Amino acid sequence: MARPSYSTNVIADLIAGRLPWEQTKQIMSDYKDADRFDKYLAVLQASVPWKEQILLPIGEHLYIVQKGHERVVKCDCGQEFGDYHQNWKLSALIRVRNTPASLEPIYPGPRKPDANWMEIREYICPTCATLLEVEAVPPGWPIIFDFLPDLEGFYAEWLGRPLPEA
Amino acid sequence: MAQIEKKSALAIQDATPIKLRHKLEQSAARFAETGCYDGITELTLKAANPLKYESLHTRLRSAVVSARETSKRISASPGVREVGECVVGLYTPEGDSVVFSFGIMVHVHTLSRFIKWMIANDYEDDPGIRPGDIFANNDAFIGNVQVPDVMDVIPIFYQGELIAWAGAVCHELEVGGVTPGGDVYLAQERFTEGLFICAEKIGENDQIRRDYLIRAERNLRSPIYWILDEKAKVSACLEVREKVLELVEEVGVDYFKRAIKEYIEEGRRAHLERMKIQTVPGRYRGATFFGHLYKGKPGVLPMADKDQLVPIPVELTIDRNGLMTVDFEGTGPWGWNSNNCCEAAMEGGFFVSLTQFMDFDGKVNDGAWLATRLNLPPGTWTNPDSILVATACSWALLLPAFGVFHRLMSRSFLARGFKEEIFVGQVNTPFFESGGISQYGSRFGGSNFELAAGGSGARGIMDGLDTGYAGWNPESDMGNVEIWELSLPILYLGRKIWPDSAGAGKFRGGTGFTSLYKIHRTPLLTLTTAIHSGRVFDNAGMCGGYPAPTALYHYAVRNTNLAELIAAQKPLPHFEGDPLDPDPKRLVQGDFEFSEGGYIGRPFKDGDLFEHFYNGGGGYGDPLERDPELVRQDLDNGIITLRAAEQIYRVAAQSNDGRQHTIDHVRTDQLRTAERNQRLAEGMPVREWWTRERERICRHEFVPEVLEMYRESMRLSQRWKEEFITFWQLPADFSF
Repeated sequence: MARPSYSTNVIADLIAGRLPWEQTKQIMSDYKDADRFDKYLAVLQASVPWKEQILLPIGEHLYIVQKGHERVVKCDCGQEFGDYHQNWKLSALIRVRNTPASLEPIYPGPRKPDANWMEIREYICPTCATLLEVEAVPPGWPIIFDFLPDLEGFYAEWLGRPLPEA
Repeated sequence: MAQIEKKSALAIQDATPIKLRHKLEQSAARFAETGCYDGITELTLKAANPLKYESLHTRLRSAVVSARETSKRISASPGVREVGECVVGLYTPEGDSVVFSFGIMVHVHTLSRFIKWMIANDYEDDPGIRPGDIFANNDAFIGNVQVPDVMDVIPIFYQGELIAWAGAVCHELEVGGVTPGGDVYLAQERFTEGLFICAEKIGENDQIRRDYLIRAERNLRSPIYWILDEKAKVSACLEVREKVLELVEEVGVDYFKRAIKEYIEEGRRAHLERMKIQTVPGRYRGATFFGHLYKGKPGVLPMADKDQLVPIPVELTIDRNGLMTVDFEGTGPWGWNSNNCCEAAMEGGFFVSLTQFMDFDGKVNDGAWLATRLNLPPGTWTNPDSILVATACSWALLLPAFGVFHRLMSRSFLARGFKEEIFVGQVNTPFFESGGISQYGSRFGGSNFELAAGGSGARGIMDGLDTGYAGWNPESDMGNVEIWELSLPILYLGRKIWPDSAGAGKFRGGTGFTSLYKIHRTPLLTLTTAIHSGRVFDNAGMCGGYPAPTALYHYAVRNTNLAELIAAQKPLPHFEGDPLDPDPKRLVQGDFEFSEGGYIGRPFKDGDLFEHFYNGGGGYGDPLERDPELVRQDLDNGIITLRAAEQIYRVAAQSNDGRQHTIDHVRTDQLRTAERNQRLAEGMPVREWWTRERERICRHEFVPEVLEMYRESMRLSQRWKEEFITFWQLPADFSF
């Protein structure tokens, strides 16, 4: 099957939600473009103010990057969260809504969960104050480690090239 | 075609075909040996003549799509006619799905389970599988999701040999359970779920048996729906059979038999290939939760008289071959309530998710299923260790569970660059069920099916679908109000977007809606709701988006002064309004009731009111990044309130007429800067928080329902227990 390819500008508009719906729908309904990942990385790399190479995006603002011999999680503002094998949330700020008063602004009146049964955890970047993730879990629930990629396998076996080194 | 069937019926007398059970075992062995479906290592027909191969596939698919449209015209049920609650499929002799129609695709794989169950239980010997036979089932533990999903299959014979099966499923609006409707809220064990048909031969010679129809007439509150749906399903199966036999005559039976298996093997390969194109190998984790609120409610049996919090942790792993495994280790136990699942239901839920995410074109069939794995720990709600467990409302936890799966897959799309495919997940679809005396003075039971149009989760580059999504039926439709007013003793005072019901985010979830019913021209109406969580959200956001405030409660008003209000032409309630001072309470005099969780209460009568809510979806991304112009549009469209604009999105807006809004961009920037500063001021380093929380855990400082949740997950899963202990660095012998 012939797989399409799109310009980097189109990919930039697409992932930013700027592309007209008709064009977006066409892309969604077509075969997936084979060179998407590289163009995606190029768009993201151009958008961040730092030089470390992005290896894999893992969130709306978070990337695994090559930093010297280390592979760390980094926010697009520059904040680093440590080795990607560790849950980046452990290095974030947390704000917990676990009382009726703290839940009220988001979930007014009867729309809020029972604070004894469920709390809303907000994981915040210590530098840019972006809300990076929200968890809705009972008190005591271990922090969820959202994603641990098989970076080596992905690069070597799926992309067909070695994982970049320092 | 009738001639072909007669010839087939005669031919079977002389033939000594290989037993289906043997074929089933052989097929499984060949798959185990080669890794390819039925041992098909080469797609020889595809290679030899791709046009012929694809043409047959397209015509088979057209046959099942067309048959579904026929069945919708025969059915009397507004659930099938209005909302399309049916599906039609074609299966191999061993019961593997080849092609299927639009509709409730969750049943593609449950039908497969049903056929395989009959084969494995030697139905060829007794009761026999012959041309013209009709088999039906709605037993989840044989192969189904829940009791209202009644499925029919017929064998397709050609010259004495069973070469395929045709199958169809309709969701029934009434099943004769302990509470009326299809999703039997108060079912607490199997014996209260309603009319069970357990892989039963219900017809011969293409005719449904009269005694079967009599049984339906005498055991259902509204038997006409069930009976005409039976005729709709049989007609669909017969139409598929006719078309298949026509095609077999055209392409030859050997070609047909090989081709339908190549389609499945091609589906399997295509799925694995898609995984490598669209995802990233690794481990993905998420969780959601469900609150059962039964304590003290009318009609609850002693063993079920409790409130319970159920965790639904989900782990997805994608290996380097593209094989995905979805693991429910750590989830909670089954319970004495209607919200349990079984393996077939979980597989069905998984399958319908795959058809929407990865396998929505090309060869969509059981091939995708063969390229995946599920771990459903025994004893949990996903896989009860007793068939006496009730599963009448099994979507309750199934929908949130695969909503987590959607988010996990979406994370992989995000990593790979396909942000346009990110979908924050399906949400629960609360059911309104009723029964009693209809507006026409007769007995009745049934539901409106407007739940088939909730809000979806947000997407990675845009908002979720508003009032237009149900995970279990991608062909979503809420149906016209007038149809539900004809079929149930209710009048709509309002059906309206539920403001602020979408999870907040840079891209918000799809909005839900609410319906306010006047109970109409009935002296007796029993009313229940099902398939929605209490006290906890059963959905979530992603990448900084918030969960939607899922439907946690209802309003009821009995003995109202509605007639006086109407006569005096005074304002009537049309929807909730301000949740802090709801309209059904503010505008109407009567016995007001606020109820949390699934609803069961005293009967209603003419003039009473009831308000029901349908969920919105979770949000994506930080709400502070939402374009203020989108906030303005949502305000104009009534999707959010000024309160939400200011307190959640930190957008300063105003309106002179309550309809058109303007944004103060300078003030908005100030509000957003202030919120970011507040986050930094109020945020605590996670490691400090961890230390404090650990102390709380050591003190067991949780309410009883939370403590029980942890005890049960630790009892059911040693692995989950060890991870909990490791995360909180607790003593090895720690327990709650």
